[in-house]
Amino acid sequence: MRESAASDLAFEVNNLSYRYLQVVALNGLSMYVHRGERVALLGANGSGKSTLLRLLAGLYFPEHGEISFFGEKLTEQRLENEKFFFAFRRRVGLVFQNPDIQLFNPSVFDEVAFGPLQLQWPKEQIRKRVGETLDLMGIAHLRDRAPHRLSGGEKKRVALASVLVLDPEVLLLDEPSAALDPRSQSQIVEFLVSWGNRSKTVITATHDLDTLEDIADRCYVLENGAVAGEGTPLAVLHDVALLERTKLVRPHHHVHREGASQPHPHLHQHNSD
Amino acid sequence: MHIPDGYLSPSTCGVLVGAAAPFWYTALRRVQRTLSSRMIPLLSVFAAFSFVIMMFNLPLPGGTTGHAVGMGVASIVLGPWASMLAISIALVIQAVFFGDGGITAIGANCFNMAIVGSLAGYAVYRLISFRAKLGSARRVLAAGIGGYAAINLAALCAAIEFGIQPMLFRDASGAPLYAPYPLSVTIPAMLLGHLTLAGLAEFIISAGIIAYLQRTDLGLLRQTAPGAPDVDDAVPAAADAISFPTARKLWLCLALLLILTPLGILAVGSAWGEWSPQDLSDVQTRQQIAAASGNHLPPDHVPSGLERLSSIWTAPLPRYAPAFIRSPAFGYFVSAMVGVGLIVACSLLAGWSMSRLRSEPQRHHMWAPSNRARHKSFVEKTIRSLLAAMQHTLFAEDMAGAPGLLQRLDARVKLIGTAALVIAAIGVRRLPALAGIFLVALLLALLSRIPVKMLAIRVWLAVAAFTGVIALPAIFLTPGQTVYRLPFLDWPVTQQGLRATAFLILRAESAATLSVLLILTTLWTHLLAALKSIRFPAVLVAILGMTYRYMFLFLQIARDMFESRESRLVGILAPSDRRRLAAASAGVLLGKSLQLSGEVHTAMQARGFRGEIHLLEERRMSWSNWLRTGGFVALAAVAVWLGR
Repeated sequence: MRESAASDLAFEVNNLSYRYLQVVALNGLSMYVHRGERVALLGANGSGKSTLLRLLAGLYFPEHGEISFFGEKLTEQRLENEKFFFAFRRRVGLVFQNPDIQLFNPSVFDEVAFGPLQLQWPKEQIRKRVGETLDLMGIAHLRDRAPHRLSGGEKKRVALASVLVLDPEVLLLDEPSAALDPRSQSQIVEFLVSWGNRSKTVITATHDLDTLEDIADRCYVLENGAVAGEGTPLAVLHDVALLERTKLVRPHHHVHREGASQPHPHLHQHNSD
Repeated sequence: MHIPDGYLSPSTCGVLVGAAAPFWYTALRRVQRTLSSRMIPLLSVFAAFSFVIMMFNLPLPGGTTGHAVGMGVASIVLGPWASMLAISIALVIQAVFFGDGGITAIGANCFNMAIVGSLAGYAVYRLISFRAKLGSARRVLAAGIGGYAAINLAALCAAIEFGIQPMLFRDASGAPLYAPYPLSVTIPAMLLGHLTLAGLAEFIISAGIIAYLQRTDLGLLRQTAPGAPDVDDAVPAAADAISFPTARKLWLCLALLLILTPLGILAVGSAWGEWSPQDLSDVQTRQQIAAASGNHLPPDHVPSGLERLSSIWTAPLPRYAPAFIRSPAFGYFVSAMVGVGLIVACSLLAGWSMSRLRSEPQRHHMWAPSNRARHKSFVEKTIRSLLAAMQHTLFAEDMAGAPGLLQRLDARVKLIGTAALVIAAIGVRRLPALAGIFLVALLLALLSRIPVKMLAIRVWLAVAAFTGVIALPAIFLTPGQTVYRLPFLDWPVTQQGLRATAFLILRAESAATLSVLLILTTLWTHLLAALKSIRFPAVLVAILGMTYRYMFLFLQIARDMFESRESRLVGILAPSDRRRLAAASAGVLLGKSLQLSGEVHTAMQARGFRGEIHLLEERRMSWSNWLRTGGFVALAAVAVWLGR
């Protein structure tokens, strides 16, 4: 793929609209993501996060508006081109929210090898690379197990491994810590924080405010398929009105983390905390 | 309109295969690229539908018969490319297994009916319907006229192919070598029947199915109607995601048609241009042929090329009349069952083998029968039994990993070996030889440590029950030497009937056992690789796998929904309420399962899937594997030789 030096933007999205038949999922959304930046997409259920990730991954195509990937237009026609398709799939990985959807192979090894095989890497390289990825994710001992018989946390690791095996430049994550027990959750987050030495672009869809500061440099808050707010995790966490309007916190509750120790306004005071 | 062997010169056949090839290629590519999981079950429904509809022979003016083809409606729903594939599949199965249409003429028949027919039907439909609303009467009319045009254009092509034979191919004395009649006879003779009754039948079928779909599943019509305005607000939100229930309804219609197939032989006489060499030399049939051909008698001597080529292929069930069934109506019905079965079974079989594509339930033990079992409705019971089948696939995965004879063999060896034995089981004509094949299958099962009890319950009993329904009437219906009479009913049991039944059941049992062994001892990825290495089109493998996934996801969601519903139910509902509830949840269920299977497809795409599956191990066949394959084939050959 050609790469212009000017395109410091991994993704540039303009006025994006997408509908599932009559249901509007995205409605004139615009955003950008720099190369190497870690961006979180915040939003309540149905705010369009997952749809946006799928559009960024070139799985769905917008009704209106356009997506640029490193300065190049991402269209259905261009992805028909085999060379572009393989190059794009190699560079952009998407981890689905539901690992049951992502895992359809008979063994963990086959699961992780699926991507490289479709991209037609040399067989020896595939074996080596799959082995390394299994070690990296700490799931080498599961290699011959059937993915669907693993625990939720193990499944998530396999799903991650099946994408990371391609060593993508851009990683799209859909609710990486959803439906996991606290320990598995923190393991996944710890891994993501250390992954790629911050040279990779990571876009995470989440409504988990606890881990926001760990996984993102900047956030977009989505509401009804459009951007409702944007800023650093700290700024967004402090914008209580925004969080309440976009249903990310209940009026009576929001999160304080160590590090977020700056004083900020509270709409409600609790006396018996 | 099925041109038999011998009526077209080999060169004409070659040209028409050549003409059809680019269309097939493009169609395969297109279907592969736009492999929408939704359309796959529909493709096999239409293939089966076309197969059955072609068995309904209508009496035509001039004493011949004709039939509708269904290519018009297939192209309107599936689009012309997928329709070409569906109709071609039906035509190939007819030619190979039933001798309807020649082996050498497969290219010609597919060209006329599948390709020209689909394109014509689609073009006319699009032209007339233009931008009419999806639910409009104009679209119904457009579909009818499209079907009418499609079958007539296909008939015209066949007439031209017949008619140019005597112009181009004559022997030294000037006698025609292949089809004897010139264009001036073939065109009026072919079109007379198709412009009238057969065309009318095609019109009614196309218009009727489109009118039906307008009311039940408008989303299906949208694909081939770009630019058509939506019907105000009548389109349900999930309009383009409900083809599964439609497909199921279409299967039900198909089952009904199947039962009616014996009506198809009420029309006596053969179709124009489908006479056998015997027909051409028999005095009486010669008169009938002449009457249907503008009073031109066929040549006195059967054209030599025609006679030579006509015996090139003997179908296992020639002219839909299995040799072991004496009653023509019953034979016709069995043939229709077998034909549809062939179309469906191969998809199920390969689909089953891909059972590991989607995971099975992780908490299947929770699906234990509860003390409320006797309050379950029929629908729920059915779904529960299907869930049990799901557990079976879980079991299958363990089998493939266990040590045993077959498990150690290369998948390709097993594939070819089992295929050879299955063909032998169909081909042998002596019971001891057939029993021998069955014993070989049993031995293989024992050596592969497949529990015989499981085989007995899951395979032998099930197959016996299924084929028994078909075969039992043969005991009484087959004429012959009576050996026993049923008390009270006084139905005769004949020796020939018993023999025919024994053959049918034992054949089915052997074939099923062998197939199950193959599936149980082979991981689906290996089976896929094997299919691919014997040049089985990858797109078909993918289609079969996706078809399977529908079923699987459907079951998985069914379990979750029934469990959650059960946990929320308090008290016992009246039977009518239970039925209503079951029906309503079935609807939700189908919507959900479709959504999920679409998701899985998306997930595959996200990792670089482009319709073709690549596998890690593509080893070459070693000489020892060739040797083992040879062993299987030799065994099959010996069985056929001993049982000839």
